[in-house]
Amino acid sequence: MLSVDILLAVCLGYVALLFIIAFIVDRRTRQGPLRWLHSPVIYTLSISVYCTSWTFYGAVGSAARNGLEFVAIYLGPTLVFVGWWWLLRKLVRIAKVHRTTSIADLISSRYGKSPSLAVLVTVIAVIATTPYIALQLQSVTRSYQVIAGEADGITTAFWVAAGMALFTILFGTRNVDADERHHGVVAAIAFEAIVKLLALIAVGVFAVWGVAGGLGNVFADVPAEAIRGAGDIFGPRWVTLTFLSATAIICLPRQFQVTVVENIEERHLGTASWLFPLYLLGISLFIMPIAFVGLKVLPAGSNPDLFVLTLPLAEQQNELALFAFLGGFSSATSMVIVAAIAVSTMVSNHIVMPVALRFLAVGRTVGSDVRGLLLTSRRISIAAILGLGFLYFRLSGGSDALAAIGLIAFVGVAQFLPSLLGGIFWRGANRAGALTGLICGTLLWAYTLFLPSFGGDFILSAAVLADGPWGIAALRPQSLLGLTEMDPLVHAVVWSVGFNALTFIAISSLTGADALERLQGALFVNVYRSTGGEAQAITEHSVDTEDLYVLAQRILGRDHARRLFEEMAQAQDATHGMPRVTDQVIARLERELAGSIGAASAHAVVTRITGNQTVGMTELIDIASETQELIETSRQLSQKSAELERAAQQLREVNERLRTLDAQKDEFLSQVSHELRTPMTSVRSFSEILLSDQDVTDTERAQFVSIIHDESLRLTRLLDEILNISRLEAGTVDLLILPVDVNSAVTGALNSIAGMTRNRKVEISFEGAEDGVQVLANDDRLRQALINVLSNAVKYNGSRLPRIDIRTHATGAHVSIDIIDNGGGVTREEAATVFDKFTRGNRGDADQGAGLGLTISRAIMQAMGGDLTVEFASDGSSFFRLKLVRDNSLVVQQATGDD
Amino acid sequence: MTLGTDQSAADRLAPQRSNRKALDRSLALLLVGTVALMPPIAGIFLINGTILGIPFTLLYVLAVWALLVIGAAALSRTLRDSDETLPAAEDQPPKG
Repeated sequence: MLSVDILLAVCLGYVALLFIIAFIVDRRTRQGPLRWLHSPVIYTLSISVYCTSWTFYGAVGSAARNGLEFVAIYLGPTLVFVGWWWLLRKLVRIAKVHRTTSIADLISSRYGKSPSLAVLVTVIAVIATTPYIALQLQSVTRSYQVIAGEADGITTAFWVAAGMALFTILFGTRNVDADERHHGVVAAIAFEAIVKLLALIAVGVFAVWGVAGGLGNVFADVPAEAIRGAGDIFGPRWVTLTFLSATAIICLPRQFQVTVVENIEERHLGTASWLFPLYLLGISLFIMPIAFVGLKVLPAGSNPDLFVLTLPLAEQQNELALFAFLGGFSSATSMVIVAAIAVSTMVSNHIVMPVALRFLAVGRTVGSDVRGLLLTSRRISIAAILGLGFLYFRLSGGSDALAAIGLIAFVGVAQFLPSLLGGIFWRGANRAGALTGLICGTLLWAYTLFLPSFGGDFILSAAVLADGPWGIAALRPQSLLGLTEMDPLVHAVVWSVGFNALTFIAISSLTGADALERLQGALFVNVYRSTGGEAQAITEHSVDTEDLYVLAQRILGRDHARRLFEEMAQAQDATHGMPRVTDQVIARLERELAGSIGAASAHAVVTRITGNQTVGMTELIDIASETQELIETSRQLSQKSAELERAAQQLREVNERLRTLDAQKDEFLSQVSHELRTPMTSVRSFSEILLSDQDVTDTERAQFVSIIHDESLRLTRLLDEILNISRLEAGTVDLLILPVDVNSAVTGALNSIAGMTRNRKVEISFEGAEDGVQVLANDDRLRQALINVLSNAVKYNGSRLPRIDIRTHATGAHVSIDIIDNGGGVTREEAATVFDKFTRGNRGDADQGAGLGLTISRAIMQAMGGDLTVEFASDGSSFFRLKLVRDNSLVVQQATGDD
Repeated sequence: MTLGTDQSAADRLAPQRSNRKALDRSLALLLVGTVALMPPIAGIFLINGTILGIPFTLLYVLAVWALLVIGAAALSRTLRDSDETLPAAEDQPPKG
């Protein structure tokens, strides 16, 4: 039999060894990074804090009672690490970017840095951790009792709890790290991981080859039921256990601490993805053999939860028993240390700090030493958490199987899963949904599993457990709404986690989120794309840098604060002194503070001191980008439809023009045929007379032939003119353009119509241009146009004393010839149509022409680069103006010649 | 440590592509493991009898477990080689 003294000495020596490891590592880390500590193996070993004394002792007990079932507890984490490491990697990335200190911090930070959510998660974590710690106390106490004889269980448990509290306080709260990393603790935990693995394998090897004499003998007489358990092993309970353990490896506060917060490099997860499952496989390998050998060798009625210890003792292997005890002790201490550190960080950051900040803050500055307060609050929290564990141990009587207690904790932390997964994969998840889901799930967990675990001694009486509150059977905690056929664990998971997820999704979908929530949602979900929410300077702040510095000093410590502010000043290219207060500086400070006191508290402190919300430009852009994409898409759509509209409009216009042209063409054709018809009719009728009537006299015959000749000439002229117009309008006529003297052109035209003017006694006055003014024109065509206009003025002049004034102006690049007659001119309405084909004035004699003269004239003028227009004088009278391009080259020549 | 800007686009894309591949494979591993270890498939291997003195069902579970570990180890090699570990927040040069 081992003596109590030796046992205590070994325990103390072992604890001292752990402390030395942690101390040395912490010290060396401060001098510079330790390479071997940064190895992924250390990281993986620290994750094995998952295997507590529940594994060390309880798994064997579970295997002895339910066969293979215990394996499910290790398959869940195996599946997560093997195939879902990228979820963990995303968590690690988020935690690094946002300086996350705990799972409560992560969830609260995701949902708009909500203090209420942080408190809720912390409270759930405390409640769920309590039975787990009680479990460790229980196993250490029991194992101690086994070796030291029947000592008083409660007293032993008390001293174990007190010792562990002291140990954890010494370990975990020697300083407040800015990033909440505990390198020393991690190294010690890694060491413990090796101790417990070796101890379990040693006992296993001894059981198989030392006691049973080979693997074949171990399972020789084991009935199939012992391996399958009571019922169908691969049933709902198996699935539930796998789900719960997979959830636990993500959501347990201590797992979050070692896997996410203590992670140094993301790629360490790559090694952990296979090494951690391998560790689990190694630790599970001998569980079943130990259980079956224990069942065979040890007397009936022995507690299978202690086979690991009682088997070597029964075989008089005291050293092995001591090693086994140390293995159990180390698995218990590592769990308690990490869990207490993780949960105390949450309690101090999310419950103590906000309260303290409210009371201690006077005005806009934070009074007293926040660092000291943080450490004290963490120490007290650790003591309180272990106190709670002890209390649970006392209340529950310490009689339950170990596995049952661990599973209660698992279902408790499983309540974090919907908010956590929803938070990092679904931008629509919001605070209201997370709060409602967590509250619903936790209440159901407490009602269906946690409170019944006290067996009717705490809050829920035995009568309520059996018959439901007030005797309502439908409300029985372990068969809610008549789900009686279910295993209590499956029942609790279905109700609590199911309802949690359901309300989380429903409320998130039905309610909205404020700006900070949406922002954090975008940053978390898109963490790989985001730059980490670096704020851009957009506003000036009234807050003094000095105030921020004092705040940073009190929370981060003197050295850290000085380093941080120097760094920020350098980033602003300031050679000395303090950085300017920009949004960027404030965001950086908030992030650093979050590393010490959590996102919600840091946000509260910084918001109060700066007096405004620090939402950076990049963050706003992240939110806005989605909206922006929508706007962009709709803008492009409307642009396209506008383009279509424009194209359709152009088509409509072209169509309209074509229609008008078509109508003009029809009109022109009908006019032409009408014009041709009159002379053709007379030609035909006179030629018919000549052909049919033999009595026509020679005189008449000569007269008729003359008429036919005249009409034919007229027809030819008409056709020539039409041909002319169409050529001129189509621009197919090549006019030979040469300098032409204006005065001689006008004089020439007047001479051509001299006969006509003399007959009608028209008085002509010609005001010529100065000598030598030349225009660019085709002499013949210009004369034709002039004759046309002048003869019009003669023909349609109804005045008794007809008179025509011709005035020539040479202005700049143009020369205009105004032809003014006293015949009454044209009205403004007529002016619009006077140039149309076949238009005749309404005055003057009938049958003066085909009405093509002005049309041809204008076409000629335009072909020569000039124009023919109707102008109106100030007294309302109208006149025709021929505009021509002046030939300036000659003017210059003349000017130079004059010198 | 920052990502070099002189890296060509192809260099930057290559690890991303192999990362996506590794992600797909690890998802497949997760799926295979889950199916093999959960009902109804796991129930098929609920056979009485032993191999090398070890109960068949226990051996089956341990074998699947070991294969998952081997698969994860093989995958983690690609991951380690191609992992684009972004600079940690504190190493990022402050912008401004």
